[in-house]
Amino acid sequence: MAGWFALPREWISSFGEIAKFSGKILGQVYSLRVLHFFGETLRQCGVLILGSTLVIWGLVFIVGLQCGIEGAYFTRAQGAPAYAGVFAAWCDLREIVPYGFGYMMSAKVGTGIVAELGSMRISDEIDALEVMGIDSVLFLCATRLLAAWLVLPFMYMAAVGAGFFASYLAVVQQIGEVSSGGFSLIFWMFQNPPDLLYSVIKGMVMATAIVLVGCYYGYHAGGGPVGVGTATAKSMVMNIVLVHLIGMLGTQVFWGANPRAPIGG
Amino acid sequence: MSETPRDPYADRYDDAEPGDGLRDEPTTPVAATPDDERLRADDSPASARAAVVREAPPAAADDDEYQWHTGLNRPTGVADAVEFIDVHKAFGRNKILRGLNMGLPEGKISMILGPSGTGKSVCIKHMVGLLYPDEGDVLVHGESVPNMTDDELFDMRKRFGVLFQDGALFGSMNLIDNVAFPLRQHTDKSEDEILDIVRRRLDEVGLGSAHDKMPNELSGGMRKRAGFARALVLDPNIVLFDEPDSGLDPVRTALLCELIQEIHEENGGCYTVITHDIMSARRVAEFISVLWKGRIVESGPAEELFNSENAFVRQFLSGESQGPLGME
Repeated sequence: MAGWFALPREWISSFGEIAKFSGKILGQVYSLRVLHFFGETLRQCGVLILGSTLVIWGLVFIVGLQCGIEGAYFTRAQGAPAYAGVFAAWCDLREIVPYGFGYMMSAKVGTGIVAELGSMRISDEIDALEVMGIDSVLFLCATRLLAAWLVLPFMYMAAVGAGFFASYLAVVQQIGEVSSGGFSLIFWMFQNPPDLLYSVIKGMVMATAIVLVGCYYGYHAGGGPVGVGTATAKSMVMNIVLVHLIGMLGTQVFWGANPRAPIGG
Repeated sequence: MSETPRDPYADRYDDAEPGDGLRDEPTTPVAATPDDERLRADDSPASARAAVVREAPPAAADDDEYQWHTGLNRPTGVADAVEFIDVHKAFGRNKILRGLNMGLPEGKISMILGPSGTGKSVCIKHMVGLLYPDEGDVLVHGESVPNMTDDELFDMRKRFGVLFQDGALFGSMNLIDNVAFPLRQHTDKSEDEILDIVRRRLDEVGLGSAHDKMPNELSGGMRKRAGFARALVLDPNIVLFDEPDSGLDPVRTALLCELIQEIHEENGGCYTVITHDIMSARRVAEFISVLWKGRIVESGPAEELFNSENAFVRQFLSGESQGPLGME
């Protein structure tokens, strides 16, 4: 019988360790101790901007095209092609942009953090930091989290714009069953600023979780290069699960009780 | 101090085999002998240790495992900068340190010698608080490392310079930034002063012309020398070298040993070199501790250790195949 409980117990234990480590990093950012290494934070901002912006915008642009195409054909099948903007607005802002952002953050940023910190761990660079009298969690993890918080809201909002633009191209320019003005009327009618705020919150919670999970698995990697590979794979699995959980909970919390749609007055 | 929920070092000992000093067969604890108590009582940070001579092996040594561990500690006449007091450390079932009592004298170049996998690098990690003992205590200048707060620990570490096996240079920085890193973090010196110090240190280790290279553009020996420059840049009181000779050719090893001696003569302090290279020990060691199976076999001034009557010490320091140490 004990065997049945071994796996869940291990999961809970692992979750507890991640939560404890994450709490420490969050504390270092909230207490502003991280500002002691503001130069490193800015360097991490640069790494994020130069390394991840285009690939995230690119992915979101593609899924924005898909939302537009699906929306246009679906509404045409219902006899209401002018309402393609409803599908595009909801699909882009509420679901596809957060998920696309989360997937690419997991694949590019999360795994990058695990691989970099894991390599530093196995080559004694983290130990070298510690013996120089530097708090390695503060220097390596808190700076990355703060950099993510500084850069990603803007990157995310620009990604939302890329998704909107792609949907417009698909609905108006490619399929062309609704005019530009008609699309815009419906498109903007079915969303408002709080929706954008909720969408940004969804994306930032995903990003925070991804950075923290990446830091945990990278910082605690062991067992040589194979161990770093294993940690990278584990972090990817964990991040994909978290992205979907956060996505589901976000939709429930923000739009579950009130779809915020101008239907029926 | 970063708490690690899962010990990142534990897996390094997963491959340990029975009998190699890393993995224990089921054993009964080795009882402390009266001599052990004398060793502990003698571990005063304020005074140099007196010689402690055992005439018989520990009474409770199981299967004669510790029959060569006389625990003899010959006096040096100076106080110890670092002391290990009955330190035990295990990674899972693998007991690495098993009642280690060792002192590293102030102002001397000490060497910790011993077969591979016997706990030498674990000793270094205990000195700087990267690992904590399961039992026992580690004192640095009389202060207990395991009992320090995080801030005290980070302050204490500023007194240390550590040369890791492969240099442990930061891959994202060039050589000059690597060596300048501790100065930028811990001093208020101007950038010009920092660069002066860094260039001087890089010149000392023969890397003056490679200052703008990235670590992946350097050979193993160059990385080691760069790590040496970085370890010395804050003029630390205690410098630890983890196998500085591994992977180096004999000439470079000799040059590195000379460099260690020169810089020690210039700066003083407690330098500790971990190695199993006997030639390096003959060149630079002033004090030697021989470690095996998690305990000190014998320790004392180098010339006395090289003339030791202990069969294990004699075999190890002469590199002979015949003797207590086999392949098992």
